[in-house]
Amino acid sequence: MKWLHKMLNYLIKRLLWMIPMLIGISLISFFIMHLAPGDITASESAFNPKASEESRQKLRALYNLDKPLMTQYSLWLKRIVKLDFGNSFASHQRPVLWETKDAKGNVSKGMIQDALPITLMINLIGLLIIFALSIFLGVVSAVNQNRWPDRLITIIVFVGFAVPGFWLALLLMYWTGVTHSWLPISGLHSAGFEKMSHIAQYADLFKHLILPVSISSLGGLASISLYVRNGMLDVLQQDFITTARAKGLPENKVIYGHALRNTLLPLITIIGLSIPGLIGGSVIGESIFAISGMGKLFFDAVLMRDFPVVMGILTIGSVLTLFGNLIADIGYAWADPRIRRGISN
Amino acid sequence: MYSRYLLLVFLLFNVTSCSDKKESFYNYEGTFNSEKGGTLIDAMSGEPSNLISMIAGDSASSAISGNIFNKLIKYDKNLELAPELADKWTISGDQKTITFYLKRNLQWADGHSLTSDDVLFTWKLVTDDKTRTPYGSDYKLVDKAEALDPYTFRVNYKKAYAPALDSWASLQILPKHILKDEDINHTFFSRKPTGSSYYKLTQWINGEKLSLEASPSSVMGEPNINQLTSRFIPDTSSQFLELIADNIDLMNINPIQFARVIPSRPDLKNKLALYKELGNSYTYLGFNLKHSPFNDIKVRQAINYALDKQEIIDGVLLGLGEPVASPYKPGTRWSDQNLHPYPYNKNLALKLLHEAGFNDSNHDGILEKDGKPFTFEILTNQNKQREMTAVLIQRRLKDVGIDVKIRVIEWASFVNQFIKTGDFDAVILGWSLSLDPDQYNIWHSSQQKPGQFNFIGYINKEVDQLLEEGRTELNPDKREKIYHAFSKILLKESPVIYLYAGYGLTAMNKRIKGIESPAPPAGIAYNSYEWFIPSTLRRNEMAP
Repeated sequence: MKWLHKMLNYLIKRLLWMIPMLIGISLISFFIMHLAPGDITASESAFNPKASEESRQKLRALYNLDKPLMTQYSLWLKRIVKLDFGNSFASHQRPVLWETKDAKGNVSKGMIQDALPITLMINLIGLLIIFALSIFLGVVSAVNQNRWPDRLITIIVFVGFAVPGFWLALLLMYWTGVTHSWLPISGLHSAGFEKMSHIAQYADLFKHLILPVSISSLGGLASISLYVRNGMLDVLQQDFITTARAKGLPENKVIYGHALRNTLLPLITIIGLSIPGLIGGSVIGESIFAISGMGKLFFDAVLMRDFPVVMGILTIGSVLTLFGNLIADIGYAWADPRIRRGISN
Repeated sequence: MYSRYLLLVFLLFNVTSCSDKKESFYNYEGTFNSEKGGTLIDAMSGEPSNLISMIAGDSASSAISGNIFNKLIKYDKNLELAPELADKWTISGDQKTITFYLKRNLQWADGHSLTSDDVLFTWKLVTDDKTRTPYGSDYKLVDKAEALDPYTFRVNYKKAYAPALDSWASLQILPKHILKDEDINHTFFSRKPTGSSYYKLTQWINGEKLSLEASPSSVMGEPNINQLTSRFIPDTSSQFLELIADNIDLMNINPIQFARVIPSRPDLKNKLALYKELGNSYTYLGFNLKHSPFNDIKVRQAINYALDKQEIIDGVLLGLGEPVASPYKPGTRWSDQNLHPYPYNKNLALKLLHEAGFNDSNHDGILEKDGKPFTFEILTNQNKQREMTAVLIQRRLKDVGIDVKIRVIEWASFVNQFIKTGDFDAVILGWSLSLDPDQYNIWHSSQQKPGQFNFIGYINKEVDQLLEEGRTELNPDKREKIYHAFSKILLKESPVIYLYAGYGLTAMNKRIKGIESPAPPAGIAYNSYEWFIPSTLRRNEMAP
């Protein structure tokens, strides 16, 4: 019970530390963002002879862009502590985070609310595939160290890592979508999706996700399968494996029962560190597959200097990063008694 | 974005895989009679943001809202002003008052009648300081606006303002009965509009698509095509794949696709029709006239002679553009047929440079004046065509002994750090122009403050006077003479060098019929409500 008490203490300390960290992160992001020249009025109406400089000044005043940076930051901070992420600067003025309702009951959906589910879905499925496949490939590699399966796997995962995703995506889209009509080319839903039965809807979504998920997983295989491979090789050389073999355990049991479990320990950290990545999407992948996820949302917001959206995504990203680190540490402590003892001492 | 690689994809697949298994089973040729119905699917690179056009700044929004809302007057296929909501309009003798007479029995899509009250309401909105619009300035010049009766709308200007008619041809009229209690900056209406024109919005899925359906109560009559669906596909290569897979009907394509990819593939040629039309924009090389030696007219003329515009058009646009000699769209009345671009003449360029005091005294291939070599930097933004143009200019100017460096900069930095501060020698940029010939904002000597549009620093008293006259003269014939004279001075003085006006290129599935080709000055879309899809050529659509 004593260690639980200490663990709780440790947790509270870590959580309290996050507050100054978050303020620091947001402050730095805010100022770096404003270092980039231009603001929303430049991209919207610069070089349109019909839009006068006075009207642009008017817009700047509307968005408080004419105030000193420190004032702008404190205005933002005041809203964000109330979890109010504000509205986009773009002309649709949609809420950044979550939907709002006006007096007549017309709902205006949040931008992150719209983009997040699809990005999460692709990344979660992708992460699952990456880990399942990588563990398998890594183990096969390690067990067959320096023989042909090892070499082949290494070559394949490195080629997958090195191939430009958009190029491979276009090739696959052409092959599966145009020459053979096996898969849809882009988008998430077929025409007439609304009228399909539930099962048909899932099938349709599944078909649309095959290419984007495959492309987004391909690049992640290399690093994790190599982690598993090298971890496995390390473990296989340790004394307890020799002991296991010496006492006559079958090789399968040695590998999957004893070695693999120890190999997977460091992966807990990697999973924890992947949590913030779950809300980030690939700009290129999303553009090519016409999926409006978080990557495109962030990229467009930066180009337009849509500050509330940029800050909103950065804030959520940094919160998730901090929590991801914490979860990684806790997970590690849970899995490895040595770490647990380290914390409680 | 990745169209360069798309060509690679095609090459690869033409070598490795045999042709399509699904050959087209439509017979596109033959004569068809116009009929109603069908769905046209197109692709948009950007998603519209706000369908209230006075607030939206993006072209995607205006492309959609133009199908939903009406204006008082419009430009017809020859870009002359023509009636839309207003039957006719009159201009008072002192040219300060314009009276619009609305058609009878106009209706909004929800059945309410559309009257001059709505027009007055829209004018009040666009001039209201609280409205988040960048386009208010033209309408603020109106001294008094009144709805005399439900069918008459009158505006008074303090002094005659010729671009006024153009401004009324671009203001989309909004319904007062819906918007009178709404905050125009944050209203559901921007995504759930009620208009009066051909189509009404039926569906908008964020990040995916938007659908319009023919509106039975359209004040313009019923269009032939029943449903327009726009899919949002940011990447043009993906759009192109969707086009050749028959999933979308039309898209804007680039010169390589237009001139090389489609003509070389029989299966694509069979089902896609290609159209080109001149846009309202031109690309130019502009000088900072406050910097020496560009303040010398002879230097500017020399550079103009030293550049081969046809070479640029052939190299950059694969021939799909036209040289221009005035800042007006060729084929319209404002563009003077008698003006011709400077021909390519290297010797004349060298002669003019010598006259301006430049000589290669140290024989290093670069001209000098007062011991300083003639070297300058061309700035441009990240735009492939402009970058390629810059390289061709660099090469041609090297021939006459001018050393050019090229710098490519991201758009916002370009505008803020270089254009607004005047910190540049020369730029390659383009102007997209409205259809009114008034270009006071761009060329008048008073428009040089940071953020204004005469950033090259052009000053010419005669031009100032012509521009002032032109904006107070409402008679088109008189205006034509003024702007021809203005164009002539501009061409002679070469404060900018016109490089090209590129064609807008469209590839369209041949199931869409009724398109006028060659395109009239207003472009192919002017009669899109008359386009039709014969029922034998329609997709297997699920019942709408």
